[in-house]
Amino acid sequence: MKIIETSRRKFLQGSVSLCVYATSSLANPFITTKTTLKRNVKNIPYLCNMCRNKCAGFARVENSTITKLNPNQYFPKSRNMLCPKGNAGIQAVYDKDRLKYPLIRLGKRGSGNYKRVTWDEANEYIKEKLVKIIDEQKDNRSTIAYCNGEGFNKDEYIKFFGGKIGSANFLDEGSICLNTKLGATQLTIGDIGEMDVAGSDYLIISGANRYESLITPDSVDMLHTKQKLVVLDPRCTMTAIKADEFLPINPGTDLAFCLSMIYIAIKDKLYNVEYVKEKFDDFDKLKEHILLHKYSAKWAESKTHIPAEKIEQVTREFFAASNPLYYLGRRSVWSQNDFQFRRAMVLINALAGSINRKGGIIFGKPIKLNQEEIIEPLYNAAEGRFDLDGIIYGSSNGGSWLNFRDKVISKSAPYPIKAMFIRKHNLMQNMPNIAKTKKMLEMMDLVVVLDTMPSDTAMMADVILPECTYLEREDMVVSFSRLEPSLALRNEVIKPLYESKTMQDILKGLGKKLSVPLFEVSAKYDEDLQDSITELGKVKAFEEGGYDLAELYRNNVSERNKNLITKQFGYKVYSSLKTKGVWHPFIEKQKNLGNNLYEYYPEEKRYYSVDKKYRVKCYIEKLAKNGSDALPTWHDSYDFKVKENSFRMITGRYVTSTQTASTNNVMLRDLEATNHIWINDSVAKKLDIEEGDNIAVSSSIAKVVIKAYPTNKIAPNVVWFAHGFGMHSDELTNAFGNGACDNQIIEDSFEKVYGCATMHHTDVQIRKL
Amino acid sequence: MANYAMAFDYKLCINCHACEVACKEENGIDLGAKNHRLWIQEEGETKGDFWNLEVSEVKFMQMQCQECQDAPCMKACPNDAIYRDANGIVRLYKEKCDLTMACMKACPYDARYIDEKNRVTDKCIFCADTRLARGETTTACQITCPAKLRYFGDLDDENSEINKVLKTRKHFTLKSELGTKPKLFYLE
Repeated sequence: MKIIETSRRKFLQGSVSLCVYATSSLANPFITTKTTLKRNVKNIPYLCNMCRNKCAGFARVENSTITKLNPNQYFPKSRNMLCPKGNAGIQAVYDKDRLKYPLIRLGKRGSGNYKRVTWDEANEYIKEKLVKIIDEQKDNRSTIAYCNGEGFNKDEYIKFFGGKIGSANFLDEGSICLNTKLGATQLTIGDIGEMDVAGSDYLIISGANRYESLITPDSVDMLHTKQKLVVLDPRCTMTAIKADEFLPINPGTDLAFCLSMIYIAIKDKLYNVEYVKEKFDDFDKLKEHILLHKYSAKWAESKTHIPAEKIEQVTREFFAASNPLYYLGRRSVWSQNDFQFRRAMVLINALAGSINRKGGIIFGKPIKLNQEEIIEPLYNAAEGRFDLDGIIYGSSNGGSWLNFRDKVISKSAPYPIKAMFIRKHNLMQNMPNIAKTKKMLEMMDLVVVLDTMPSDTAMMADVILPECTYLEREDMVVSFSRLEPSLALRNEVIKPLYESKTMQDILKGLGKKLSVPLFEVSAKYDEDLQDSITELGKVKAFEEGGYDLAELYRNNVSERNKNLITKQFGYKVYSSLKTKGVWHPFIEKQKNLGNNLYEYYPEEKRYYSVDKKYRVKCYIEKLAKNGSDALPTWHDSYDFKVKENSFRMITGRYVTSTQTASTNNVMLRDLEATNHIWINDSVAKKLDIEEGDNIAVSSSIAKVVIKAYPTNKIAPNVVWFAHGFGMHSDELTNAFGNGACDNQIIEDSFEKVYGCATMHHTDVQIRKL
Repeated sequence: MANYAMAFDYKLCINCHACEVACKEENGIDLGAKNHRLWIQEEGETKGDFWNLEVSEVKFMQMQCQECQDAPCMKACPNDAIYRDANGIVRLYKEKCDLTMACMKACPYDARYIDEKNRVTDKCIFCADTRLARGETTTACQITCPAKLRYFGDLDDENSEINKVLKTRKHFTLKSELGTKPKLFYLE
């Protein structure tokens, strides 16, 4: 019988994650509300927004106050669970630092000096500024840039500023997130697909930290699937600890590992010959290229630091498995070779035949939702976007942040950007080299921020429009998943607090204020509109041309959902979404698998394989013609090299934080108060660094100070610290003063296929203070 | 009337803290690392140098009141404030507790802490006065767990899931040599 020593004292001292020494204790620990029997109770289905997953839950509301969030057993995607962040969502609603009222700036940008105004005053202020800007720019609507990070309502935000107001310059998180992965999949197999983790019996993960950066259903499925898990990472993460095999690797060299897998598979004919014959284009070119370059295991060992025999073994096991999957990742872009690395992973899956089948990259059958029609005006003077200039593909939707920012601040853009509307996007924290972002925002004549929290970015705004949190609003119905498709609805749990509003209500107010004045500017410059006015008269030209910016908001979201859902799917589906938050065809007969786990779609009804025409493209000529490689290729410049006394800085996340959005959450801060820099323990010893010591970390652009965590879980020439700390806004009273911000020191550089910011190329020096 | 117990498929734990947050929110537990009814304890370390790291010793143990059938805390309390309720859960008469802390010292599992708000010692009671009192059949930590590693149920019900899992899988209790007969089981 095993005896385990337990001690609260030991617990307090033993875990770095608790950081008992790192920060002062909280002023008020009494913030939780015990659930009761005595109050009036409602359980309202909602969708979480603490991260990108959108797990489903039921909110317990007692006397109109949210007292508890519980998981929802009906949603195939989130598998009846809520993570720590999901549970802590209550504290996002009741955060005392929330943006409560519309604010207009009084002092200098960034000074935090604001005055409370009415919604009408805020909208009036925006109107005055915007009309002047659009007039000065002779109706070039693209002088307004607008951005929105990940999340619901982004489409409507684009419809408003892009479709209705007419700007081409939309930016989102894609170019600081996973556009290379999406692009590599799309270009290679013609679809972005979805990975069936639950169906795979052999899973390789390069760097994605699925047990600390939780993704539903992948993270949950990995725990419940009997599969072999191989993890490659330059840091021993929780995912690495839980893996069957952890292969420590040099940062940015995963492509070499992949090339070697392809080499071994082709040389020894381990690949799925029938599948390749049926689906591949230009396999001969791939074969010739890979064999010519001799990407052997021995060669890959010299690049990756993974022993050749291990590479051989994993490759053989992978191709011998029935349903192997090389997980394509879901996180930021690391290095210049990121696109080719993601593409190589897609090709490995394809070589194994793991496309459009169980346990592979599946196409599935997502539920298509009807779109609401609105009329979008045409603006002759509106110019096109410029941030994809010099980028081979790029996303025509979300663009390239770093290229955009460079062009704005160097004034090399074809026209000036004069105004920015920023929603749910923390620009002053989320991309490398924050000093440049600050410079960009300082150049604007108007900066408007829609957010729930006084973030570092909100503090750069001229006007702050307080949006309500996800638990205070109904959002439009969303379709989820390709394998087990479902619909899910975020219901309103409580009414918006303070004077905060839903995005739709904010845009409705803005739209009403801006429609006519902006129409008048167009009428001054746009000859087609002038003709239309002559022909139809002003009123009709306005109406028929779609210049009513608030057109989509004639009905509220609740009415729109009811109309849309009942019309397309019938009342039963609508009713299911209102009462259960979810609908899928098997919701009434979900099978209980025991211990609160369910089977949603019966195995034979899941869309593992669908009838779809597609090809696997080995060779992409456009890449070669534009300075990249038609086939994944290693270049000497990709070799991992760090100068003496320097360290490669890599970044990631804690399980308790979502980028920078949850950093002020009092419950999560209680679990993970600050971030630490991981330094190899032998190196730390040499440098006389002990846990908790203050360390200055310098790159070529800036310096931060952070506490040390010496550990054997990181390589000697690599350091790591988590993203999401080191806030500069002292309005975030829980977050301010805790830890360091990675993007302050990460040098800005982007890869050229999708214009994505690379995050793992900065070398830093460390010094004990 | 039941005899509640819990079993942990402890190797599935990824130390995500969901259980801790769910417990605090459900039961109104104060913030602060020292205030908790449950916690995850990291056992063992990664050994060796980075390129040859041995990680198999690292374990994450679910810690909370072990619901001893022979509970040292109960015996130790000079005020007879601790009792076993009808569902077999060790509970506290709050009005009888005057914070002698004898129970805290007696507990070999360090399961109790001082609830500053109510000025009593507190510990996990399987959500007895919140969820179970409302007729729910799951605890806050169990239902939220992403790994679904917690089995909760009635040992006196032969068909309960916990009984089934204890019948089919090897398990152990903590500090069994002390003879406290915990009702929390760790599945191998």
